[in-house]
Formats: sequence, structure tokens, C-alpha cells
Amino acid sequence: MRKNKSVLWGIIAILLCVAVILLNNNQTEETGSGSYKIGIATSTVSQNEDEYRGAEAAIAKYGDLIKHVTYPDNFMQEQETFIAQITGLAADPAVKAIVINQGVPGTVAAIRKVKETRPDMLFLVGEPHEDPPMVEEYADLALIPDNPARGESIPQLAKEMGATKLLHYSFPRHMSLVQLAERRDIMEAECEKLGLEFIFVNAPDPMGEGGVPASQQFILEDVPRQVAKYGKDIAVFSTNCAMQEPLIVASLQTGAIFPEQCCPSPTHGYPGALGLEITEEMKGNFPAIVEAINKEISSRGGDGRFATWPVASGYLQSTACVELAKLAIEKKIDLKDMEAVAKVVEEVTGASMRFSRLSDNGCFYMFLSDSLIFGE
Amino acid sequence: MQEKTAPPTPRLEDRILAVLSRNAVPVFFAVLCLGGIIAARLDINFLVNEVLARLGRNSILVLSLLIPVMAGLGLNFGIVIGAMAGQIALIIITHYRLTGLTGICTAALLAIPFALLFGWLTALVLNKAKGREMVTGMILGFFANGLYQLVFLVLTGTVIPIKDEMLLLSSGIGVRNTVDLINVAGSLDRALDFLWNGLILVNWGPLRLGPWRVPVFTLVLTGLVCAATSFLIRTRLGQQMRAVGQDSRIAEVAGINVDRIRTTAIIISTILASWGQLVFLQNIGTMNTYNSHEQVGMFAIAALLVGGATTRRATIWNALIGVLLFHTLFVVSPLAGQKIFGIPQVGEYFRVFLAYGVIAVALALHAWQSSLRRKTAKQHGEKENSLESRPQD
Repeated sequence: MRKNKSVLWGIIAILLCVAVILLNNNQTEETGSGSYKIGIATSTVSQNEDEYRGAEAAIAKYGDLIKHVTYPDNFMQEQETFIAQITGLAADPAVKAIVINQGVPGTVAAIRKVKETRPDMLFLVGEPHEDPPMVEEYADLALIPDNPARGESIPQLAKEMGATKLLHYSFPRHMSLVQLAERRDIMEAECEKLGLEFIFVNAPDPMGEGGVPASQQFILEDVPRQVAKYGKDIAVFSTNCAMQEPLIVASLQTGAIFPEQCCPSPTHGYPGALGLEITEEMKGNFPAIVEAINKEISSRGGDGRFATWPVASGYLQSTACVELAKLAIEKKIDLKDMEAVAKVVEEVTGASMRFSRLSDNGCFYMFLSDSLIFGE
Repeated sequence: MQEKTAPPTPRLEDRILAVLSRNAVPVFFAVLCLGGIIAARLDINFLVNEVLARLGRNSILVLSLLIPVMAGLGLNFGIVIGAMAGQIALIIITHYRLTGLTGICTAALLAIPFALLFGWLTALVLNKAKGREMVTGMILGFFANGLYQLVFLVLTGTVIPIKDEMLLLSSGIGVRNTVDLINVAGSLDRALDFLWNGLILVNWGPLRLGPWRVPVFTLVLTGLVCAATSFLIRTRLGQQMRAVGQDSRIAEVAGINVDRIRTTAIIISTILASWGQLVFLQNIGTMNTYNSHEQVGMFAIAALLVGGATTRRATIWNALIGVLLFHTLFVVSPLAGQKIFGIPQVGEYFRVFLAYGVIAVALALHAWQSSLRRKTAKQHGEKENSLESRPQD
């Protein structure tokens, strides 16, 4: 039996060696060119599409210049795979910059791993989940909606839309994210200032045992309960991407107010909740998408109760980061120059943004856009 | 090549077939890996480097599963709880700013009392749930996760009086979702750097190998754990464990305290798992406070199954080969999926399909093998195999 086993492993080892030699030759031929490439890692479209579609738009624009991979849907548990995807991109010597959107936990670890062997690699991170100061230290640029400022702007918008109460759905894992916890506290304080009642409700974590379906089910069931308890003039908000679609559906049914998604964007939650078909010519054309949503919401009597940003944060993080990476590789921009970065982002999106940064001279940029209320 | 080594007595084809069917699971995965490598046209240097790192990272966690299998407890999903013990130790040393090898060794020592306690509590429950250990262990993991969240999200900063800006959320209550382990990152992998830094880089004409980084000390540690495990099997305790694993009623009659042996097995497994998690996290370099431990059990068990182990029989080789094959597949499958279908996200779905599908396939192949074995046992007369076919509790 022993002998048999050793025979077996011998066969496997020999086969592997053959493969090594064959492929090694292939590999050296492939990487001969002098031009550069930009790697981009995004989520799949399971939770939200914007990041992925942004990467697709970049590929449409630059073609072979972009190398696109996706990270695990279960990124919290499969950190090893996430890191392997990033180091896999870096294994190609032609790749000079890597865009990670969103910067899920493991991003800093992956950056460190890559910089061990490729210290010159540029990292541009969209929507970092890890501690901002830590990300600022390792990434060459980080781009995220200004969450602390949204803590003020969302209650203000909700009040403008006629809300008297603000309901905040979240769960422990998200409340352990520094910026989200901070935003919740700011929101609560702002609500008090504006005379709104702040209500916090714990929803099941979509990364928990029940998964995404359990948390979506909860939202569909809980919004009517809360509306029955507090009345229609309640604004609902959730920190989780997967909850946006049921939140919009439930708000439409019950008449609640929906001021903004977790990741503000016309394409986040709305198309799915309204059953909108995004046609080929609508892809990436935000004015057309907004127009279609507007029509649908009006026809269902939701005028003035729903809002979002005119541009998609996840989408622009992908497209703008690729643009910034390209400029940085070509040494046409200093990523530490906030005004230059803001200019590129505004050019890419065609909308005006307010930029701020985490620390002076740091590369952790936060942006804020004006809202767009549907049906007005 | 096969003709020389295979003994001539039975027919050659039968011989090869027997070998293949006995090792059906690992062979199947090796073929799958090879197919994936060819389909993905993968840079082999990248693959080797990645698999070496993963071998260092995951082996001890997988090895921690062996002893409970031997003691008849099946696959210990409770190692999630051991992983939590390791993380608690890491949080403590991060708070006290202990660095390098001192830090990680302190963490290893600190993890022992936690793992002892958790292991003992786990064993208390598992001894009440004989025959259903695996599902009980899994649910225990979920339950312990709730307690863990309660302690680190709510009690830290309130009941546990810690003030630490680096560790706690800005509100002063609850540990941050990522703990930066830069102080101890790579401290085990690089512990032998003064002898050899583990870097392999070879240039022989057209053949380019490397750069591969070997986690030298981690692999030495893995070797030590292997040696300790095989030593333990030979001691009196190990014999008793095996007796309990074979048939707990007979062991009971023979005067072995079955519950005590089972408790010992679980405690050893929990301590090893806590160390395994330390090794894993010092290699990664950051810790997801609330999620790093969650899938530890699932992936370790999948790797062990892929290595050809069953719920009743698992060897060190099963563990090591399993880590090698399972993680090769994990590296290869997303890239293979991407290359085959040409759409990036299909690569991810393909990987998920493969990674979780393999667990099902492994279990199905084991069932097929054991039914095959039963058939041959019937043909050869049942006396020889009476021990194996005896019902288990």
C-alpha cells in the first residue's frame, strides 16, 4: 500500500514538473512588451453592480490596457483568496498600478504583500472598508464618499423631503467600521439639532448565517412595521448595499421616505426595485437612467419621497481611479495634489464634487455631491 | 514507470485501478488542478509562491483536526472556537504593543488558557451529543461567534476597562473591525532569516524559477506539529484515543474513561487550532476582528477531505496533501474560470462552484469507496474486516 502511494505521488510530481517547464516557456514569451497595464479588482454584480460596470467602462475605453479580476462575494471569510487575486495581478510584470474597488478588509494586507516584491506598484483604493488612517498609510490614493459629512447631509435632506423621523438600519459588523460608526453618531446629533427623531434598528448581517436573503426579508417585513408604528413621514436609511433594493420596494409600498442609499447612485437598488430594464444604450449613461427612474417613481406616486446622487459613487471610483492611475503612471499628475485629483474626478463624472481629505497632504480623499430628488 | 514498481502478483491493470480507487479523491483533485493550470495558462512561479505561503499558513489548522478524528469525534468544526482563542491572544498583545517573536510567543502562551477553557466547554457539550459531534460543533461555532461579538463590540471599553485609541472605535467602545498586526506580521515566517531568508531565485538559461519565498520557520513548526501528532498516536493516551475511536462501548468495558479521552482530544485540537490561527494571521498581517475565524473550520475540513481523509480516518499525509491540492485549486480556479469564459466575474462564480462543489464530491467519492470496500470485504469473507465494518456510535 505504501508503495502504491509513493507511485501515485510520483506520477503527480512528474506531471506537475512537466507543466512547470511547459508553462514557464510560454510565460517568458508573453511578457516581452514594454507597455504598461492597469489591474482592477472589483466585486461581482451579486451585491451591487456599479464597481463592476465602472471597470467594464474602463475596459471599453482602454481595451487591453486593463486587466480586470473580481474578488470573492464572501470577502470577509475568504480573505486569502482576495489577497491571492491582488498578488495574482501583481505577478504580471506589465501591471504598474492596481485599482481595488471596493477596498474590502484584506486590502492593506494585500498591498503590503505586493510591495514586498514590487515596491513601485501604485495602489488606488475605492471605498476602503479598513481603518482610514491605516489605508492612508499604505495606499497611494483612496477615494470614498465623505461619510462623516453625509452624517449631516442625509438628515438635512430627509427634513427637506418632509421627514420627522430618521430610521437607521445596520448591524454590529458595520458598526465596527470606524467611518460608519462615526457617521451614525453624527447623524444622531444632527437629527437632534434639526428636531428629527433618530431610530436605530439592528438588521441581520447579510454575511451572517442566513446570508443576503435573510437580511432582505427582514427589511421587507420591518419597514411596514415601522411605518405602522411611526407614520409615513419616516426616512429610512441602511448601511448595507444588499438592503437597498428591498428598502426602496418597501418604501414605495408604505409611502416612507428614502433619502439616499449607502453608496449613493442612481443605479444602486433603484433599477432592481422598480423592475427597470437597463438597455444597451443606457449603460453608463446616467442622465438617461435618472430620467427612466424619475418616470417610474412618478407613475407609482413616489414624487418627492425618493432621492439619490446624480452620479454613481461605485462607478466613478472605478472609472476615476483608472484614469488617475493612468495619469500617475505617465507621471502627469501628483496624487497628493487634491485639486488636480478633484479635477480629474469631475471630468470623468461630469458633475461637480466637494472634496476633502483625511489628513493634510494625505491621499485619502472624500467627496460629496448634491442630491437629486425624484419627481421634482 | 508504473510497471517497475507495481508488484507482479495480481494483474497490473487491477493493481493500478486499486491504487486509483483507493486514492480516488486526491487523484481527482490533482487532475482538476492540472486541468485548471493548463486552462488558466498560469504563471507557475506565482502559483508555487502562493501555494508555499498557503502551506505555511494553513497546515497547522488542518493538522489540528486529526486527533478528534482519531478519537472518533469526526471532523471538529469546533476549531472555530480555538481560532477565537488565538485572536483574543492577538488582541491582548496588540494592546500591550508586544512586537516580533516575543509578541507572537506571548500570544501563543496566552492562547493556551483560553483554548483550554473553550476546549473543555466544547467537550462538555460534545460529550452530551455523541454521534452528532460535527453538526453540534458547527452550531457551537455560531453560538461562540455571538459571544465573541458581544465581548469585543459591547463589553470592551465598558465592562473591560481598556483605553486604546489604536484598538478601539472612536466612541471608545468596541474593538475596530481591523486590527493591524504589523508588530508581529511575518515574525514566525521570518524567524530564521539570520540563517536563510527563504528566498529562492534560480536562472538556468530558459528556465526561470522564483522568486519564491519559503516561510522557513513556519514550515519547521508545521513539521514539529506533525512529529508531535505522530508521537502522541504512539503513546498510551494515543492508543486509548484510538480504542475510543474504534468503538467507545468496548473501550468503556476495557476500563477507559471515554468522556475524559474525548475531552482531552478536543482540548488538544482547540489549542492547536488557536496556534494555527496565530500562524495564519501573522502571515496575513491584519486581522478582521469579527470574521477571520468564521470560515476556518469549513476550509480546514475541506482541505482534509480533499487530501483523502474520511470522518473516521485521517493521517498527517492527508492533511498536508489536502492543503496542497485544495489551495492550488483555490488559486487556479478563479483564473481558469476567467480564461475559459472570458468574463471576470464568472471566474469568481466558477471558483465558488468548484470550491464548495469539491466538498460534496469528496464526500460522495468517500461514500462510493466505502461501498466498494464493503463489497470486496463480502467477497473475501467478513472475518478479516470485522473491525472496520463494526457499527460506530
